[in-house]
Amino acid sequence: MSTLAQHLLNGLMQGTIYGIVAMGFTIFFGVMNVIKFSHGDVLALGAFGSLSAVLSLQPLGLPPALQLLAAFAAAILLSGAIGALIARTLIMPLREAPPLNMLLMTMMVGTVLREGIRLFYPGGTNPQRYPELLPHGGFSVANVFVRYDGLILVFAGIASIALVHWVITRTRLGLAIRAVAEDSEVAQTMGIDFAKIIPVTFALGSLTAGFAGVLFGLYYSEINYGMGLLLAIIGFSAAIVGGLGNIWGAILGGYLFAGLQTLVVAAIPSLSDYKNVVAFVVVIMLMTWRPTGLLGEGESARV
Amino acid sequence: MTGILLECRGLTMRFGGVLALDGLDFTVNAGEVLGLIGPNGSGKTTFFNVVSGIYRLNAGTIHLEDSDITHSSPGSISAQGLARTFQRSRLNLSLTVFDNVVLGAYRQVHSGLWHNIVRRRAFHDEARRVASEARDLLAVFNVALADRLFDTADSLGMIDRRRVEICRALIGHPKLVLLDEPSAGMTIDETDAVMDEILGIRKAFGDLSVVIVEHEMGLIQRVTDRCAVLNYGKKIAEGPYREVSQDPVVRTAYLGHT
Amino acid sequence: MRSGSKAMRSISAGPVLVAVIVCAVVVTTLVRIEDQKLLVVELAAIVIATLLAMKFGIADKVETSARHHPWIGRASIIVATLAVLSVLREDTFGLLMLATVLLYVTTCIGVTIQMGYAGLTNFSAAAFVGTGAYTAALLDARHLLPDPLILLSGGLVAVAIGSLLLLPVLRTRGHYAALITLAFGVMFNVFLDASDSLGGPQGLKVGGINLLGWDFSNDLHLFGYEFSFYVNYVLLASVVASLAMVLAAILDKSWIGIWLDAVRLDETTSAVFGLNIGRWKILAFTIGNFLAGISGAIYAKMAGFIAPNNFTLSDSLIIVSIVILGGIGNRWGVPPAALIVILLPEKLQFIQEYRLLLYAALVIGILVARPGGFLERRTRRFDLATT
Repeated sequence: MSTLAQHLLNGLMQGTIYGIVAMGFTIFFGVMNVIKFSHGDVLALGAFGSLSAVLSLQPLGLPPALQLLAAFAAAILLSGAIGALIARTLIMPLREAPPLNMLLMTMMVGTVLREGIRLFYPGGTNPQRYPELLPHGGFSVANVFVRYDGLILVFAGIASIALVHWVITRTRLGLAIRAVAEDSEVAQTMGIDFAKIIPVTFALGSLTAGFAGVLFGLYYSEINYGMGLLLAIIGFSAAIVGGLGNIWGAILGGYLFAGLQTLVVAAIPSLSDYKNVVAFVVVIMLMTWRPTGLLGEGESARV
Repeated sequence: MTGILLECRGLTMRFGGVLALDGLDFTVNAGEVLGLIGPNGSGKTTFFNVVSGIYRLNAGTIHLEDSDITHSSPGSISAQGLARTFQRSRLNLSLTVFDNVVLGAYRQVHSGLWHNIVRRRAFHDEARRVASEARDLLAVFNVALADRLFDTADSLGMIDRRRVEICRALIGHPKLVLLDEPSAGMTIDETDAVMDEILGIRKAFGDLSVVIVEHEMGLIQRVTDRCAVLNYGKKIAEGPYREVSQDPVVRTAYLGHT
Repeated sequence: MRSGSKAMRSISAGPVLVAVIVCAVVVTTLVRIEDQKLLVVELAAIVIATLLAMKFGIADKVETSARHHPWIGRASIIVATLAVLSVLREDTFGLLMLATVLLYVTTCIGVTIQMGYAGLTNFSAAAFVGTGAYTAALLDARHLLPDPLILLSGGLVAVAIGSLLLLPVLRTRGHYAALITLAFGVMFNVFLDASDSLGGPQGLKVGGINLLGWDFSNDLHLFGYEFSFYVNYVLLASVVASLAMVLAAILDKSWIGIWLDAVRLDETTSAVFGLNIGRWKILAFTIGNFLAGISGAIYAKMAGFIAPNNFTLSDSLIIVSIVILGGIGNRWGVPPAALIVILLPEKLQFIQEYRLLLYAALVIGILVARPGGFLERRTRRFDLATT
C-alpha cells in the first residue's frame, strides 16, 4: 500500500513539474507562436543557480527557511532574467523568420545553456547533490506514510500554477498578455507595448520554470545538467496534447503524462525503464487523433 | 459553346456567428465572362473559396458540368477543370517564374521516380515542352515577361506577379477560371492593360469561362458579358452591367441610402 | 539570347580545376597536421580565403566553370580523391576520420532532402543512422546475408522504422513533426539502453566488410606501396557519398524537386493545384532515412563496434547543425560543413570538450545573421536548349 502511495506522490510531483513546464510552453506559443525549446534548460539553469546560492551561503549557517528563500530567489531571478533576455535578443528579432528557424534556434540556445552548465559549473558533468532544506519525516494516514516535504512541494507547485493562472486571468498584465496572444497587431493599436509585454511574458514563464527547478532539486535531492532536455520534450508534448495556447490543457497534459508514467511503473514494474516510451507513444497517438489538443487550442492559434 | 458550366444552389456558409453565404444560387454559362461584384464583406471571396474546395459548405450543392463537387477536395476540383487566382499573391517568391507556373501543370506531367531520376532525356523533353507552353502563355500578356521565365518571382513587379499567377491558373487548360480581384493595387493604366490581356486570353482559349471578382467597375463594364451582385451573402441582382448599375437595390447596397 | 551568348564566350576549365586542387590540399593538410598552432594558422588562412572568395564572387566563377566542363570537373574530383588517398595511405586515424566525414555527408544529404527540399523537421537523424548500424550488427552476427545486402538492409530497415512515424509527421504543423522526431530519438536511445538483446549500453561488436570477395580488413599493396585497409572504407564511403550527391542533384533538377519546394513553401496553394502533399513528404522522408540507414550500416562495420551513445540527440543536433551551416538546401555546402564539424574537434584538442557548445553558438549566429547558411541555395534553372 505504501508503495502505491509513494507512486502516487511521485506522479503528483512529476505532473506538477511537467504542468509548470508545459504552461510555459503554451504561454510562449500563445503570445508569439513560438516553441521555446530552451525552456527546460532555463529551468535547469535556475536549479543550478539556486544550488550555487545555497552552497555559497552555507558558511553563514543560516536557518533552512532562509536558505530556501535564497534558493527560490536565486532560481526565480536567474531563470526569469535569462528567459526575458533570450526573448528580447533572439526571439523577438527573429519573429518574421520561418518557424523552423525559430525552433532550431531555441534548441541551440538550450544546448548552449546545457553545455554551459556542464562545462562551467564545477563538476558539472556529474549529478549534483541538492541540499535537503525541507522538514524531514512525515505522518501516517490509514497505513500510508506521507512525507512532509513531498506534500509541501506538491502544494507549492500547484500554488505556483494557480498564481500564474491568476496573473493571466485576473490582472491587467495578464489581460495585456492575453490581448497580445489573441491579436498582437490589434493589441498594439490599443496601446499595449509589445516590446515590453513580450519579455515580461517570457520572464513570467521562465521564472516559474526556475521555481520548478528548485522543487525538482528539493524532491529528488539531486540535479544534473541534462535535466532540462527531457523535461522540455515532455513539457512540449504535454502542451501539445492539451492544446497549444490553452493553459488548462497544458496542466492537464502534464498530469496526463505523469499519470501514464506512474501507471507503467506501478502496474508493470518490469517495464519501468520504458515508462517514457509508453507515455510518449500514448501521447503521440492522442496527438494524431486530436491534432488541436484534448482541450482545443487557445484562441490565439492561427491556422 | 452552350450549356451551364457551374451550377450552385442554396450555398450557405457560416463562420462562428457570421453568415457569409446565405442560400446563394449562382450559375455560370459555358463560354461567358461573368463579373461578381458587391460591397466588401458580401461573400465574394468566400464564394470562391467554397467553389474551389478550400472551405466546406454548411449547406447547398455545387455542380461543375455534370459532376457534383460539393464535397470534393481542392485537388480533385482543379483536376476537373476549375482554376483560380488569389486575392493576396500566393507565389513562391524564391522560386523561378517557371517553377511557379509549372505548379498549374502538375496533372499534365510525369512525376514518377523512374521518369524523373532515370529517364532524364524523356524528362528534359517534357520540361522543354512545358517551358515552351509557359512562354507562349506569358507572351499573351507580355513578350518581355516570356523572356523572364527563369527569373525568380521576387524579381518581378506586382503586376507581372499577377500575370504569372493567371498563367499558373491557365496552363492546366481549365474550363473555368476564377479571378479574384486581378487589378487590386493597380493604377488605371495598369488595369486597362490587364483587362486587354484577359480579353486576349479569351481569344486564345476560346472555350474558357471566367468569373471575375472586381471592385473596378470600368473593368467589369468592359470585359464581362453579365454580372451578379452580392450583398450579405445573397445575390441581389443579375444581368448586364449597364442594367445592374442602374438597379436601385444595388445602389442602396453600395451607397447605403434608401 | 542570353544563354546562347554565354556559350559563345569560351569559359575556362581553370577555376574548377584550381578549386578541386585547393580543396584536396586543404583536406590533406588538415588531416596530416598535428601541431595545434599550425592548425589554427591554417584555419585562419582558410577563413580569410573564404571571405575573400565570397567578396570576389569566386564561388560563382567556379560554378560556371564546373557547369561548362562537367566531365573535367568530375574527373578531377576522382583524380584528386585518389591522390589524397595515396598521400594519406598509412595514416589510419586520418583515413578513419575521412571515412566518417563522408558517411556524415551521406546522412546529411539525406537530411538536406528532408529539411532543405521538403521542409520536414527531423531531429532524429542519428536514430535512423543507429537503426542502420544495429541492423548491420545483428545481421552480421547471424551471418544471414552477404555484406552488400547487409548494407542495403540497413537502409531498408531505417525506412521501415521511419514509416512508423509517418502518420504523425504528415500533420500540417511543423512543430508536430519536430516533437515526434525528438521524442522518437529519445525513445530510441532509451530502448537501446534498456534492451539486453541489443547489447544494452555496452553495445555490440560488428565484423568488417567483405564485398564479393574484396575483404576490407586487408591492407592493399599497390605499385609497391602499402595502403592501410581503411582506404577500402574511404573508397566505399566516397562512392556512397557521391551517389547521394548525384541523387540530390537529379532530384533537385526534376519535377519532384519543384513539388518538394512547393510543399515546403506553400502547402495550401499546392494542394489547390492537385499536389498530394503526403506523397511528397513521404518520399523525402523515406529517401533521407534510407541514406541515413546505409551510412549507419557502413559505419558499424567500419568501426567494428557500436553502442547506444553513438546515436544520441546530440548527434542528431550535430547533423542538423551541419545541414544549416553549409546552407540549408545546398548540397555543396554539406561536405565542407561536415569536414569542419567532424574533423576540427578531433584535431583541435583544446576545443573538443566545447564542440557542442561551439556548434550551437555558431548555428545561433548563422540563424540570426545569415539564415541561408554559408552557401546559399542556388535557384533552380533548367538548362533547356530552346528551339
